[in-house]
Amino acid sequence: MKKIVYFVLPVLGTLLLNAGCQNKEVDPGTTFKNDLLKKTTGPAVVGDRIEFAYAIGTLEGDLKDVRAEASIAGGKGTGFSGFSWYTDRSTGVDKPVQTAADTVTNGAVSTASIIDVSKNKAVTLRYYYYPSEEGKGKDVSFLFIGTSSTGKEVAIQSPAYRISRMSMKRSLVLTDGAKAYVSLADMAVYSKAEVEQNNLASKIDFVYIYRPTLGSGNFAFGHALVAPSNADYLKDVSLPTGLPKTRTAIDKRVDVKDAQLRNTAGFDVYIDDVDLEQTTFPSAADYAYGLAADQGAFVKTADGAYAAYVYVNAVNNTTKSMTISIKQIKLK
Amino acid sequence: MKPKRFPLFLGLMALIGLLSCGKEPVDEAGLLITGRTQCYMTFFDLLGSDHRTVLVSGQTVIDTTALTVTAVAKFGTNMERVKPYCSVVTDAIVEPTMGIWTDYTQAQKYTVVSGNRQVRKTYTVTVTVQK
Repeated sequence: MKKIVYFVLPVLGTLLLNAGCQNKEVDPGTTFKNDLLKKTTGPAVVGDRIEFAYAIGTLEGDLKDVRAEASIAGGKGTGFSGFSWYTDRSTGVDKPVQTAADTVTNGAVSTASIIDVSKNKAVTLRYYYYPSEEGKGKDVSFLFIGTSSTGKEVAIQSPAYRISRMSMKRSLVLTDGAKAYVSLADMAVYSKAEVEQNNLASKIDFVYIYRPTLGSGNFAFGHALVAPSNADYLKDVSLPTGLPKTRTAIDKRVDVKDAQLRNTAGFDVYIDDVDLEQTTFPSAADYAYGLAADQGAFVKTADGAYAAYVYVNAVNNTTKSMTISIKQIKLK
Repeated sequence: MKPKRFPLFLGLMALIGLLSCGKEPVDEAGLLITGRTQCYMTFFDLLGSDHRTVLVSGQTVIDTTALTVTAVAKFGTNMERVKPYCSVVTDAIVEPTMGIWTDYTQAQKYTVVSGNRQVRKTYTVTVTVQK
């Protein structure tokens, strides 16, 4: 009996091992497939774009064209890019390869035709969607459709994405004594003359000043945003006629580096609608001073109509200027 | 060990075990009440809305006899919205709790309570702004 066991067990083990190691056939399911990836992680804000990677591949025939149908028509720039991307193995840098042409957008529908179909049996195309003013506060979704030369179609429906209610303006240049008057309602910077000529005094929420030092002890002060209510810091400024002394709440931050306002890769912090809607301003100051690049301030207009985050992109002590970007939301 | 002594040893161990399971005294906040009687503040700081210190370095004085803290805030500090922090001697606590936005345009009072919760010393914190 023992001899039989010694003989049978190794044979059984070898059989099991062989069975476990057998290659399994991969069932491709269908011969024409597609998939979708949303690459953008931040909120969909007017003035920025959201990016999708739409992948299609076929085992029968060739890829013919792709179509994307947005539930709300996008703004200028919406549509497919003609390029797919690959990562260069030696450098690690992403490089584009043209895989599509005739990229056209008509209303909410964008199309593109695949080129070099004999080698492009599977491609991943980029689709950019620029939220429009009409879409603010609404949900948008996308239907992507791919067509092959055999007449087959594949489609994939994206989830719904909320388009932010925020408005965004990048790279506004403020200059001390010149373009120094900021209106959150207009998301614009004005000079004293412009404020007076266009009767904009009631719209001005804060003034930009640059003073290297201030006070009897010549204390460091630097680049500052000051509400018209603050007489101390604006006493040497000739304000526009009729500028009301409104107390804009200004709350300085040094650690909120919003990726969209910064407009550079490598940052993944985003201010979304809820941040501006729910930011409270108890005992906030009516000024923020000592501002440097990458810092900013949460701001709320005196009438409570707008909340905003003012991000400092750059400061220049020589030209007494500061470049800012703003995300603003209407509260009432 | 002799056989008769073994049950005695076991009993003794059980007694020690029981005693060690006794509840440690804690206060209403669940903090351990210890035997320490020391009661003083060792460090004080004040943060602005940007969560950076607003105090001028080297100007903070903690007088543990007069029970006062005096400090100087940087020019331009909004004293209506600052957040105080302090360090105290081992096991002591501070009432009311620091670390919340506070109006420091007026002097503020904080009581340091010793580890045994028997000694209480109230400090007056005064911060002036550079002008």
